[in-house]
Amino acid sequence: MELTKDILLDLHRRMVRIRHFEDEAGKLSESGQMPGALHLYVGEEAVAAGVMVHLSDEDQITSTHRGHGHLVAKGGDFKQMYAELYGRSTGYNKGKGGSMHIANVDAGMLGANGIVAAGPPIAVGAGFSNKYRGTKNVAVPFFGDGATNEGSFHEAANMAAVWKLPVVFVCENNGYGEFTPQAEHQAIKDITDRAAGYGMPGIQADGMDAIAVWEAAGEAIERARNGEGPTLLECKTYRYYDHVGRSGIGLEYRSDEELDEYRKEDPIPKIEKHLIDNNVLTADEIQAVHDGILAEIAEAIKFAENSPLPDPSTVTEDVYYTG
Amino acid sequence: MPGPVGIVANPASGKDIRRLVARASVFDNQEKSAIVRRVLVGAMAAGARDFAYLPDTHNIAAEAAHEFKDKANFTEVQITRTASTMDTVYAAQAMFDIGCSIVLTLGGDGTNRAFAKGWQNVPLVPISTGTNNVFPGLVEGTVAGAAAGLIAAGKIELASVSNQVKATTIEIENEEDDLALVDAVLVEGGFVGARAIWSSEQLKTAVLTRAEASAVGLTAIGGLINPITQSDDTALVIQFGPDGELINAPIAPGLYEPVPVISTDVIEFGETVTVEGPGVLAFDGERERVLRKGQTAKLQVNRNGPHVVDVHATLTKAAHLGLFLTK
Amino acid sequence: MTAEATTEARQLPYILAITEGVRQSLQEYDTSFLAGEDVGLAGSVFRIYKGLYAEFGPERVIDSPISEAGLIGLGVGAGATGLRPMIDIMFSDFIGECMDEIANQLAKTRYMFGGKTTLPVTVLTMGGGGINLAAQHSQSLEAWLCHIPGLKVMMPATPHDVKGAIIAANRDENPVFVIMNKASLGITGEVPEEPYAVNIGEAIVRREGSNFTIVAIGRMMHEAMTAAEILEKDGIDVEVIDPLTLQPLDTETILTSVRKTHRALVVHEAVRFGGIGAEIAAQIQENAFDDLDAPVGRIGAPFSPVPFSPPLEQAYLPNAQKIADGVKDLIGLD
Repeated sequence: MELTKDILLDLHRRMVRIRHFEDEAGKLSESGQMPGALHLYVGEEAVAAGVMVHLSDEDQITSTHRGHGHLVAKGGDFKQMYAELYGRSTGYNKGKGGSMHIANVDAGMLGANGIVAAGPPIAVGAGFSNKYRGTKNVAVPFFGDGATNEGSFHEAANMAAVWKLPVVFVCENNGYGEFTPQAEHQAIKDITDRAAGYGMPGIQADGMDAIAVWEAAGEAIERARNGEGPTLLECKTYRYYDHVGRSGIGLEYRSDEELDEYRKEDPIPKIEKHLIDNNVLTADEIQAVHDGILAEIAEAIKFAENSPLPDPSTVTEDVYYTG
Repeated sequence: MPGPVGIVANPASGKDIRRLVARASVFDNQEKSAIVRRVLVGAMAAGARDFAYLPDTHNIAAEAAHEFKDKANFTEVQITRTASTMDTVYAAQAMFDIGCSIVLTLGGDGTNRAFAKGWQNVPLVPISTGTNNVFPGLVEGTVAGAAAGLIAAGKIELASVSNQVKATTIEIENEEDDLALVDAVLVEGGFVGARAIWSSEQLKTAVLTRAEASAVGLTAIGGLINPITQSDDTALVIQFGPDGELINAPIAPGLYEPVPVISTDVIEFGETVTVEGPGVLAFDGERERVLRKGQTAKLQVNRNGPHVVDVHATLTKAAHLGLFLTK
Repeated sequence: MTAEATTEARQLPYILAITEGVRQSLQEYDTSFLAGEDVGLAGSVFRIYKGLYAEFGPERVIDSPISEAGLIGLGVGAGATGLRPMIDIMFSDFIGECMDEIANQLAKTRYMFGGKTTLPVTVLTMGGGGINLAAQHSQSLEAWLCHIPGLKVMMPATPHDVKGAIIAANRDENPVFVIMNKASLGITGEVPEEPYAVNIGEAIVRREGSNFTIVAIGRMMHEAMTAAEILEKDGIDVEVIDPLTLQPLDTETILTSVRKTHRALVVHEAVRFGGIGAEIAAQIQENAFDDLDAPVGRIGAPFSPVPFSPPLEQAYLPNAQKIADGVKDLIGLD
C-alpha cells in the first residue's frame, strides 16, 4: 500500500471533520439546545478515519453508542446529521433515531447502536450477505473493550471465523467501559489475545495514529476482500471527553495526568506535523481546511435549526413496511 | 553481594501486523506471565532471592511476583509510564541505577534493542516471546531463570559464561542517536505506521551485525549470501535496488520474499556507512525514525552491546562445580 | 384426472408442509437462505427440513454454531443488505438467548432508521408442549413477541396454514415469526402442491356457530373444535375462530363473531396471566361491550413452568374437555 498525498489529505480531512462536528455538537448539547444524550468520539478519530479510507459505500459498518465519528468518516452529510441530533424530520432517520441510532444505510452505515456489542452480529450478517451475493465487499463492526465481554461479540466472532466471512472486527480500546477501567472489567489488557481463541489473526495498531491504523486496517481489509477471512484489529485509543457529553456527570474516575498523556498523542496535530514535514500542506493550508469545515458545520447547524420538527401524527409510521 | 535479578516482560511483543501479513505466532500475555513464573522458580532454585521487575501496564511480572511474594524479595522499578517503547528504555536505566546483577528480558528483537538503548552493556538473558527472534534464543524460562540465578547468587562469574555482542550506533543529523542490535535498515517511505517490515521492495540499505543463514528476518538476506557470525569482528552492508540479483529470503516468519540485492560488503568495526533521506530507518525489524529529504544518518558497528549469557554453558559449568548436589 | 383435482386432493402432514413451505421459499427467491442449528445435514432435530440440504447445498441451507444471538444478528445484517433470510431457532424457548437481537435490533431497526430500510427476515421456531420435554422446551412465549412493535407473529395450526405462513412470511418485507407446533407435526390435512401464501393478519372462522365464540390460538384450535362437538350435544352452537396471526391481530373477525354470539372464550396454551388472551378479551370488551351477555372468559395454562411428568403435563395443558367446561361455566350450565 502506498501512502499517497491524497490518502494523507483524506485521513486528515476525515479526522478534522469528526473533531469539529463533535465539538460543536457537544456545545449545543451543553447549552440545552440539543435534546438527548451525546457520546462524543473526540480523541478516537484516527481509528474511524484510518479504517474508513479503505471502504466504499458498498462496504458496511456497524457502530456503537459513540457513533457520530463513524458516520462522519463514512461520508455522512453534516446537515442530515445535525438535523437528526436535533430530532428534525430532515434528519437521516427523520428524527426517529437520534444520536444513538443515527444511520445511513445507503452508504453502508448500518447504524449507531444503543446496545453494547449489538453491532458485531449484524456485521456478520452483512459480511455473510457480501459473500453470498458474490461481492468483494467487507463489513466492519466497531466496538469497544467493554463490548468484548458480551456474549453477542463472542457469537459473532466465532461465526465469522468458522464461515471465513469478510468481516474486520475493529476494537476501539479506550481503556474504559463507561466509567469502569479496563482492569476492573476484564483480566486481560489486549483484546488481540482473544483472537486466537476464535481462530482468526489478532493484531494491534496505535489508535492515536491515523497512518498506523490505515496501514494495519488496509492489510486486514484486503485479506477479507480476498476471501481469507476475518481479522481482529485492536486500536488502543482514548476518548478526550467523558462517557456522555463533554464534561459528563462529574465523576472522577481517571486522572488529569492520564488525559494529558493522551492529549500529547492527539492524532490530528500528529498528522498535521507529518503533512507539514513532508510538504503536503502548509500551516496556512491546514488552517484553511479547518475553516472550511467549520463554515460547513455552521451552515449545517443553521439548516437543522430551521428544519421542521416531525409531525406528531407520524409517531407510528415506519414501524412496518406497508408497501 | 550481587544486585537483584531484573525482569522485563514486554506486553506489546508478539502482537503486531506480522500476524496478518506474515505468519508469525501470537504471544498472549498469559503465556508471558507463565514464563516469568517459571523464570522465578528457576532462579530461586539456583539461590537467587532478590528480584526487580518493571510493573508493566499488563501486570505480567507483577502477577507472577505476587505468587512468590512470601518466598523472595521483589522491588517494583518505578518509571514514568508511557505505554510505549520508552517504558523499556526507562526500565533499563532504572535497573542500571539500582544495580541489577543480571536482567532477563521477555520479548523479541525490538524489546532487547529498546532495553539496550537504556543500558547498552547490560548482562542479559534474553527469552524469546516476540516476532522475529534473532537476538533472543528459544530457551525454556525455567533454565534461563536458573542460569540468571546462579550468576545473581554469585555462584558463577558472569564473564566466564557470557559474550559481549555487537551493536550498531546510528548518528542522525540534528537528532538524537539511536541503536540497533541486529539490523539497521533504510527503507522507502515517510512514516512509521504499523512499524514492521514485510515488503522487500521498500529496502534500500542494510547494515547487519550478524548475517545468519538459519535466522528469520532481514539478517537472513545477508545470511543466505555471505554469513557473518556473532563472533566475527565485522559486519555486512547490503545495497538493494530493482536491478539487483534476487535472493529468496525469509524476511518474516512464514514469509519468503524475492529480495533484489545489488551488492554486499563486509565492513570492519569503526567504518562508517552513511545513508541519506528521504526514507525511514528501521532497527531490528521495526520502522522507528523518519529521515527527511537530504537528512543523513551515520552507522557504525562495534562490540559494545549487551553481555549475553550462554544458558547452556552456565548450567554445565555449575554442574561441573557440583553446585546442584546437596546432602 | 386433472392436475388441479390432484392438487386439491393431496393430503400432507404438518411436518412435510413445513418442508415444502421452506423449499418453495428457497425456490422463489435466490436471495433466501435457511440458517440454524442442525438445519442442514440433520434436517433439524424435528426433521422438518429433511432433504433441503441435499437439494440446495450448504451455501443455502446452513448449519450454524449454537449461537442464537448470532443467528438473529445474521438475519438483521443479511436482511438489511439485500437478502431474505430464514432463521431457525430450534425451540421457541431459546429466544431468551437472543432477545436483544429480536427486540432491540430486528424489531426496531426500520423504525429507528426512519423507515429507510426493510428487514424481510423470517424466524421459524417450534413452540408448545405435550410431548414431555419439560420446562425449557415446551413453552408458548408468543406474548413476549407480540408486545414488541415491529414484529409480526403467526401461529399456524394446520398443515395448510403452516406452509402458507412460511411462504407469506418470506414474501413479507417485515420480520415475521412463524411459531410452529411440535405436537402437531403428525397432523394431516389438505395442502395444495403449488406455492401459496396465507394472508398475514387475517383470522379464519374454522366453524360457524350462533351462540358462542371460542377464539383458539395455535394447536388449541383443534381442541376447541373437539369441544364444539361436545357442546353441540348440549345444544350449544359454537363458532371457532383461529386468529392465525397474533400480530397484527384480526380484531374485526373476532368482533363480528362476538356481536353475533354475545359470548366469548379465549384459549391458549401459554400461561393465562399476561397471555395474549388478556389482550383479546380486553379488545372484545372495549369494542363490543354492549353486545356481551357474559364476561369474556379465558383459558390458559396455570401460573407455573411446564412440568415434565406426563400426568402433570396433561393436568397443565388446556384441552377439549376443559374448554367445554369453561364454555358451560360462562353460560351458566353445569
